[in-house]
Order: sequence, then C-alpha cells, then structure tokens
Amino acid sequence: MPSANENLVLALPKGRILEEVMPVVRRVGIRPEPAFDEPDDRRLRFSTNVDGLDIIRVRSFDVATFVAFGAAHLGVAGNDVLMEFDYPEIYAPVDLGVGRCRLVVAEPKDMVSTDDPGTWSSVRVATKYPTLTSQHFARRGVQAECIKLNGALELAPQLGLCQRIVDLVATGRTLKVNGLVEVERIADITSRLVVNRAAWKTRSDEIGGWIKKFREAVNGNAD
Amino acid sequence: MKDSADKALLPAGMSDVLAPDAAFEAAVLERLMAWFSRHGYDRVKPPLIEFEAGLLTGIGAGLNGQTFRLMDPVSQKMMGVRADITPQVARIAAARLARTPRPLRLGYAGEVLRVRGSQLRPERQFTQVGVELIGAAEPAADAEVIVMAAGALADLGVKGLSVDLGMPTLVPAVVGKETADADTLKRLRQALDRKDAAAVAGLGRALGKDTARLLAAMLVAAGPAAKTLKALHALGLGKKAARERDALADVVARVSRDAPGLTVTIDPVENRGFEYHTGVTFTFFAKRVRGELGNGGRYMAGDEPATGLTLFMDTVLRALPPPAPGPRLFLPAATPAATAAKLRREGWTTVGGFAGGDAEREARRLNCSHVLIKGKVRELKKRGKS
Repeated sequence: MPSANENLVLALPKGRILEEVMPVVRRVGIRPEPAFDEPDDRRLRFSTNVDGLDIIRVRSFDVATFVAFGAAHLGVAGNDVLMEFDYPEIYAPVDLGVGRCRLVVAEPKDMVSTDDPGTWSSVRVATKYPTLTSQHFARRGVQAECIKLNGALELAPQLGLCQRIVDLVATGRTLKVNGLVEVERIADITSRLVVNRAAWKTRSDEIGGWIKKFREAVNGNAD
Repeated sequence: MKDSADKALLPAGMSDVLAPDAAFEAAVLERLMAWFSRHGYDRVKPPLIEFEAGLLTGIGAGLNGQTFRLMDPVSQKMMGVRADITPQVARIAAARLARTPRPLRLGYAGEVLRVRGSQLRPERQFTQVGVELIGAAEPAADAEVIVMAAGALADLGVKGLSVDLGMPTLVPAVVGKETADADTLKRLRQALDRKDAAAVAGLGRALGKDTARLLAAMLVAAGPAAKTLKALHALGLGKKAARERDALADVVARVSRDAPGLTVTIDPVENRGFEYHTGVTFTFFAKRVRGELGNGGRYMAGDEPATGLTLFMDTVLRALPPPAPGPRLFLPAATPAATAAKLRREGWTTVGGFAGGDAEREARRLNCSHVLIKGKVRELKKRGKS
C-alpha cells in the first residue's frame, strides 16, 4: 500500500544537537515555520518555506528509525546512533561536521592506576549503546555485560551499579565532575545527513538535490 | 477462549494469509509466470528441501546462516530448507539440463524460508518469483531480463516503477586487490554500503589519496542514469574500471531504448545483496513503496554466465491497489443444482444456503452482494456501514 507521504520529510534530533544543526539547515535554505522555534509549541511536525518539505522533531535515536523505515526521507543523526543500529536502509552521504564528540569508555579515577585492561575477560558496563559496546569489547576478546541506561550514566559507578560506562563525551567536564576519566576512545562522532535508501532511488532528483545542497553548505563552512 | 488465543500465536515472521489476499497473491503470481512464459521462460519446480551439501555450495554459500536445517532420518544426511531458489535453478541447469541448448530460459515460483527476517521484511517465509537466463554473456541478455521484469510489473499496475543499476565489479577495479589489505577492504565495503562519505574519506591514507578521491566521487555520483554515466566518464577511471563502466553503459542504453517509460538510476558503489554477482545488477523500486520489489543480476551459474531475477511477492503486492471484492450470489437451499451450475457458467460466484428462512438476511450475513429470489438475481442494497 503506497503511503500518503507525498511531501518529503526531514527528521531532526531534539535537544543539544538541534542548535548546532539548525544553522546548517538554514544555510541550505530551509526555514521552518515560526512555531518550530517556540519552546512551548507542542506540535511535532512543521511546514517549511520549501514547498513539499516538512520537518519533524524526534529523539536522536528515533531519527534513525524514522528514516530506516521510510517514514522520514531525510534526517540528521550522529554516527553513534547509526553504528548502534546499523540499519541497512540508511545512507549517510554527508558529514555535517557539527555535534562533534567522542564515544569513550570511562571509569572512576581511583581505579585507573590499579586496573589492567589486558587482564579482563568480562566487564559490566552501563551504556546507551549496548550493541556498540559489546562489539567493541568482543573485538578484544572481552565479554561485555551491558546495562542499558537512557541518561545520567555518570551516576552508575558512584552508586555501585557498575564500574565502567560507555558514553558520549564532548568536553569531558561531566566526567570530571563525577570523578571519572576517559580510558579508551571507541569512535569519533559527528552528525550526518542521512537518507532513506528507497527514497534516494525512487526520488533521486529531489533527494540528490538536497544532498548536493547540504554538501555545499558544509564545504562552504569549512573554507 | 484463552486457550485458542494461545494456539493462534505463530512463530515470529510467520503469518496466515486470508481472503481476499491469498487468492489475490495466487492470481498475481500466475500472471507473472504467464508473462515470463510468453517470453520463452520454461517453468521449473525444485523441491523445498535438499541436501545441505548441494544447497549451500557455489552461489548458495552465502545463505549458510539463513538456512533452516533438518536431519534426514533415511539417509542420515543433513538437509536444508531453501532460503533462495536461484541456487536450485542454477543446479538444475548444470545437472539435469546440461545438454539442453543454450541460452536456457527458466522461470520459477515458490516459498522460501529464512532463519531471520530483515528489518524491512520481517517475514521468515515469503514467496519468490523469478527467472534465470543461463548461458548468455551478452549485455542484451541483461537488458532482456530487466525489460521483461519492468514490463511484467507495469502490466500488473505498479505505478512509479524505477530500476537501480549497479556494477559490483567497478569498485574492485578501481581499488585493485594489491593496493589494499583485507581489513581496509572490509572497512571500505562497509563505508560504501552505508554511503558514509566521511568514512570513505577517512580511508584515504590506507587506500591512497587518488583512489579515495575516486571512490568518494563515485559515491556521490549515484542518481539518474544519464547524469551518473556522465559523472563516471568525467572521473578519468583506469583502463580496467573504464571497461566495467562501458559494459554498464551498454546495458543502460539497451534498457532505455526498450523500456522508454522506465526510470533508470545508477548506483556505482552498490554491493549489498550482490556478493556473488559478476556484472550488471539491478533492483526494482516503486515510488512510495517500502523496500525492493525485486532484484537480480549477472552471476556465474557453475561455469556458465547467467542473469537472474527474483521478485518478492510481498513487496509486489504492497505496490498494487488492494483487490476489490467481486460480486457473490447467494443461492437459497432449494435452488436446483442445474440452475446453480448455469449461473456459475455465466460467471457468478455462488454461495449455497443450507437452511430455509429469510434468503435476503442470510445473503447479507454471508457477505454476498446478490441473492437469487424466485429464479431472479437481485442486487442487495448496500447498508450504510460506519
């Protein structure tokens, strides 16, 4: 059954990343209706100055899901989310160069001096990224028992939930305040323009046009 | 009550198909098979289960993890339930039809079973309909299969059909086996599969700057065929890669000529699902329909060049308007068999009653559109449904 989505839908992540992404979106020439910037507005879908293009605002993990299933055609997602889900239906053709941070393993400061990671055979880790975390440790022959949390990961070691966490770090301040240190870097993260595979193939003129515009907007930024 | 509800639970990825969908699927399947048959493709029917050793060799090797196994109590050998029919047809061509003149045109339709569903196709059992053209290496053979499939889908009423062509040999021709180690190639494959431009650029040091630049340009060149071919021509590809590109361009020209209404796009770095392919590959999409309608391409069936096509019935059906319920005529219990037979010959679908009573009410209860009263067919007025 063909879906009713004639309009192209661009999915943007809520929260911190949105502030960094919006300048890029505006540079591309997409201006959402005024309600988009009003914090009290409860709507989730917004029209834009571009005919036939709507914006939806969802949680960053959900951007990937919406795009993977073709409910949104375009989106902005960090490669942390992309690697965690590894949806085969998502293409990530443009690195937007915003939302820079890194995915790291962290543990309490006083543990670092005595701990030898080479001796681990299994570890318990609190993380938002159970798949990535298991893969990372499995590559080193370590079995990771992941505890899935959705936020406030830095509390886990303090309260004895587990010793280590795998989380995104931008400045490292939150880690420091909570007595944690970064011991390993798993990946560097930036936000990517993502595209649904079937949409790219069947509406290649439209989607290709947007990809080109986003790429130009980003390259203009770098020069 | 709770008991029967428990028993209704099916394993993940399995489903009951009811009316009118089951009949619709069968009708669409037969129309596709008839279309292929009129193009000279003879229908074959391999078994559901084969010995594992035969099923999972050659092009079937990649299906190892997707195949359900059973032990054959008779031969004490391990058997597999087919997860794909193409390897079976390739086996038939090599073993049973080895002396039949080439090119060999074979068609098939059947159910396959997979250990895991995919994200877009959670079904573990689904129907494949397809053809294999075996023993022809010409670009015309690729074009024949693509044009025939596009014609079949358009004939069914699929709107906004497009075909995406790929050339899995192009990237290896650009990279060259000697220039990169296995780990780099694996990471490159992954990056290209996700169309992750940043990751391709990140492999610049391992691959050489020029190669990475070429690959990045190929990645972004994906799009409408004419545009992509132009972009590929402007890239200054090496001799080997240029040969692959020209082979692709040859097929594009034939398809555009023979199927003028078909939207053709090219993805120069596409490889997913085409691991065993050796030439032009293709994937059918329809606008606003989730997932692929079908795919296929050039491969080696044993030591013979071949082109295959597989259509996925579930996606094809999703791309079609839902079946309209036909008229059904209720025959009260006293209707003579000869009258009933005559009505059926006239084209009616009849539903027989067993008890007496109000024929009209009974006709409505059994979802009929017409009722036979005093030898006359009467249409039932539609009651306003909410």
